[in-house]
Amino acid sequence: MLIRPEREDFRIVAFALGRIFMVVAAASLLPLVWAALGREWHPFASFLLMIGIFAFLGQLGLRYQPANERLDWSHGMVVVALTWLAVPAIGSIPFIFSGHYGSPVDAVFDAMSGLSTTGLALVQDLDHLAPSLNFWRHLLHFLGGQGIIIAALVLFAGGGGLTLYYGEARDERILPSVRSTARFIWAVALVHLAAGVLVLGVIAHQVLGFEWKRAFFHSLMVFFAGFDTGGFAPQSTSLGYYHSAIFEFAALVLMVAGAMSFGLHYALWRGPRRALFKNLETRTILTTVTVTMVLTMVGLAVAGIYTSFQGLTRQGFFQVVSAHSGTGFSTVPSVELATWGGLAFAGMTIAMALGGMASSTAGGIKSLRVGLIVKSVANQTKQLLLPEGAVVGTQYFQSGRKSLTPELAQSAMSVALLYVVLFLLGAGVALGYGYGFQEALFESVSAGASVGLSVGITEPSMPMLLKLTYMFQMWAGRLEFVAVFALLGFLYAWVRGK
Amino acid sequence: MIRRVPSPRCMRLVGLPALLLAFLFLFSQAVAAADGPIVSVSDLLANGEAYNNTAITVEGELVGDYGFRRDGFMWTQLNDDSYAREALVNGGPRTGANTGIGVRMPSSLGEDLDPVGGYRLEGPLVQLAGTWRYHDPERGGETYLDAADLVVIEGGRRLEEGPDWSVFALGAVLIGSSLVLWYQRRRSAEG
Repeated sequence: MLIRPEREDFRIVAFALGRIFMVVAAASLLPLVWAALGREWHPFASFLLMIGIFAFLGQLGLRYQPANERLDWSHGMVVVALTWLAVPAIGSIPFIFSGHYGSPVDAVFDAMSGLSTTGLALVQDLDHLAPSLNFWRHLLHFLGGQGIIIAALVLFAGGGGLTLYYGEARDERILPSVRSTARFIWAVALVHLAAGVLVLGVIAHQVLGFEWKRAFFHSLMVFFAGFDTGGFAPQSTSLGYYHSAIFEFAALVLMVAGAMSFGLHYALWRGPRRALFKNLETRTILTTVTVTMVLTMVGLAVAGIYTSFQGLTRQGFFQVVSAHSGTGFSTVPSVELATWGGLAFAGMTIAMALGGMASSTAGGIKSLRVGLIVKSVANQTKQLLLPEGAVVGTQYFQSGRKSLTPELAQSAMSVALLYVVLFLLGAGVALGYGYGFQEALFESVSAGASVGLSVGITEPSMPMLLKLTYMFQMWAGRLEFVAVFALLGFLYAWVRGK
Repeated sequence: MIRRVPSPRCMRLVGLPALLLAFLFLFSQAVAAADGPIVSVSDLLANGEAYNNTAITVEGELVGDYGFRRDGFMWTQLNDDSYAREALVNGGPRTGANTGIGVRMPSSLGEDLDPVGGYRLEGPLVQLAGTWRYHDPERGGETYLDAADLVVIEGGRRLEEGPDWSVFALGAVLIGSSLVLWYQRRRSAEG
């Protein structure tokens, strides 16, 4: 029997949301200050309104202090799902007033794309957008990638952190407590921020010849989008704008760092590093990157798209890493990407669908699940081939020896299956509107796996239903379904429960 | 070498004969600059390979940055879209994403240009003649226009965008209300 949520349940959810809104309001002061320093008074006013709404709703939520602040599993999941709906909705306000969006839905689309670190965009005339608004787009990547909830966990010591942490699609606790893990994640991000902005900025100034101020601007934006595997770019031509192999390489390093699990970051910082290559997840991602890279390169070579070895390797390598890491930076225009048929299309689409590592900022099915599924299938095949009664080892190495239980294998397969359904949903809607199968599948996988590469379907004039479908895909794909189902269950219980 | 032609915005002030003369002048300048046919950027992006290594001329607004590199070249972006002719901030229509290409030119061509296009900045509207490099093997497969000649059709200019006072006021009221709620909560917690 379904139990209808009680008043206290709503108080718990409202109070937790209130805390998170206050954290987002505080983070939103950064673009406000940026706008003030740049004397961008039009965006300044809209940032003020956005902060006002976050702060007002935050304070309203905090009025409903529950008797017991501790969140149980369902509360935490509902809070996460609602946060990831409300923040893009309110966070789109500066975009709505900017005049660069065809409708409020387009603005929410970009805010959802930013927060979910997808990178698909409906902004119009990006090349004349106010720098403070551009900063806000990229800061959304940072907030979404590092986790707004994680930020709230660092700041508030309230109970129920574990459920919030898992709700944001993070699978492993690196340190004994969730709060210390959250602190570690932000420490990793801030160290990379300092190093990444410095390196990119120096390259932009010394090699690309940009003025220091512009070099800093570009480096900060590319850092946010690269390290958080987002994919927005400050100019309309994405990373193709820079025409520099060394700048692309620096961005590529950030993309790889962003697609690595925070557990791997921890092991790299603290050791032991040798064990890293024994990890099932590391081996899986190295294998899938190699396979999809070969597929794409062979496809491009056979189609004769690049006539030189340097062109093939530089462009192919960058695009595949961008797809596999879930970043979505591109050095070729979408109209050209749409012509990558055959094996190149297959390589890119598979790379996007597989995604990065678990507990990283990347989306997609994730390498650990892929590794577990392959290992499980291999074990079952071995069992069939061996004599009856023979025992097949079911252990795998992932930060230590672990047992591959049937429940674990089933869980990995279920999530992978849900991703396939999600990809087919977007592709089906696009097919219904008359887009070609290849384009429809590519764009749908890009949205559902939080990548952001586009073959041209995502544009302001695309059908409204398709925009809403991609937004749903970005939301559900980023949260890896559990929080979404929890919210739907909560709402159903509210209506039908007793 | 950069050549400048009179701005059409100034021409609105003069009579028809002067306008005709100016048009003829503009036209002759354009022909002089064009080493190849005038091609739209959207055509170039859609059929890039067909124009590979051919002399072409493109028109548009320079946006983003002027990147003067140590090899004697300057890189920038040329946008050939509606925003290049009528800025959004000036009430121009929204027509989708930007349509731009990368441009490389000798640094000497870019030295005296007006500020590049960006927020509240209309970049110079130029005509560039050069060779279209599609997947250039010498530059790791990059695609760009290797410009050799530049004509400024219209100089850049600064644009204005003031604050929206109603949005500002609403935001201030909400922040004020939040502070009142916070104060009330603090008082009740203390008392």
